Amino acid sequence: MISASFLTLLHIVKEFFQIGLFSFGGGYATLPFLFNLTQTYNWYNTNELAQMIAVATITPGPVGINVATYAGIKAGGLLTALIATFSEVLPAIIIGIFVSKLLKKFSDNFYVKSAIWVLKPTSCALLTYVGIKLFITNIANLHNTIGYILFGTLLTISLLKNKDPLWYILISGLAGIFAYKLGIINFS
Amino acid sequence: MDKKISLLKIFLAFLYSGLILLGGGYVILPILQTEIVKKRGWLTSEELTDYYAISQSLPGLIAINISILTGYKLRGVKGALSAVTGVTFFAFWAIVALSSVITQFTSNNYVKSAFWGIEIAVVILIISAIREMWQKSIVDIKTLVIYTIALIIMLLTNISPAIIILCSIFLGIGYKLIERMRGQI
Repeated sequence: MISASFLTLLHIVKEFFQIGLFSFGGGYATLPFLFNLTQTYNWYNTNELAQMIAVATITPGPVGINVATYAGIKAGGLLTALIATFSEVLPAIIIGIFVSKLLKKFSDNFYVKSAIWVLKPTSCALLTYVGIKLFITNIANLHNTIGYILFGTLLTISLLKNKDPLWYILISGLAGIFAYKLGIINFS
Repeated sequence: MDKKISLLKIFLAFLYSGLILLGGGYVILPILQTEIVKKRGWLTSEELTDYYAISQSLPGLIAINISILTGYKLRGVKGALSAVTGVTFFAFWAIVALSSVITQFTSNNYVKSAFWGIEIAVVILIISAIREMWQKSIVDIKTLVIYTIALIIMLLTNISPAIIILCSIFLGIGYKLIERMRGQI
């Protein structure tokens, strides 16, 4: 892999800073931007982008960070990946610290209080919307009885007990491997 | 806060949260609820849901935004940087480590089958996050109306969440101003 030229690095900083600044609504909101990059640069093609997204969802951490790292590696290597990731996070650091300072200073301010008051139910609605979408893609389209049983069981447990998120991830991951071993699910 | 929380502790808490964050940033809420509120008692549940709502209305990744807000609350700018470094650490190094074998990794049947299960768990975690947010945000008829209208708009139209959030902030402040003028507060 050839090391990225200085110009490429500048483009990487510019593009990923923009992605960090203009994408609203989480990692998946960055995807249209990443798609546009395939039209302008030859860092990666659309097939590689699809692969990146698949990898990002099954690796730890925010999907947006995974994709920025992978795009950086494709575009030039480890240093480029580090710069791409940092550029994507930088706007959030600047804005987050600025907002934190405002919150600290104006937490009793009428406008701040009113904004938070209305943001919470709106944010809950947005989360519900994401939940519905995810339910349709991950559960309703499963077409697998064992999958439905696993979902029902885990849901019941989550309603009755407070378990660590890690517990659900481990149990369901193991259940998936068992289901594969027993031939209940297959990938062909 | 009587005693300062060390930056290393903040980094480690977010490092772990980043490690078990699978299937999208929305799942960060139940994770931080467990790690930051229940296990460590660094924030109240109320503060965390406030930060979550604010994080959704800021540009960028939700998991990153909420880590910065939480880190700042705990230890200022240094705390924010520790938290964001922690939560991104595994996201970055996992990809670097896997980058040369990515095709083999994603086509491995054990990886696929484990993730088949994890995708189910992600939905459960989102449902927990919705319940958590619901308890903290839907407190009366007014907030229920806001929730219902926002959800219906999202389900029926293609309007970007950013626009919906922006409009809701303006309408909410407008409503509170009218309420104040009428002397109801």
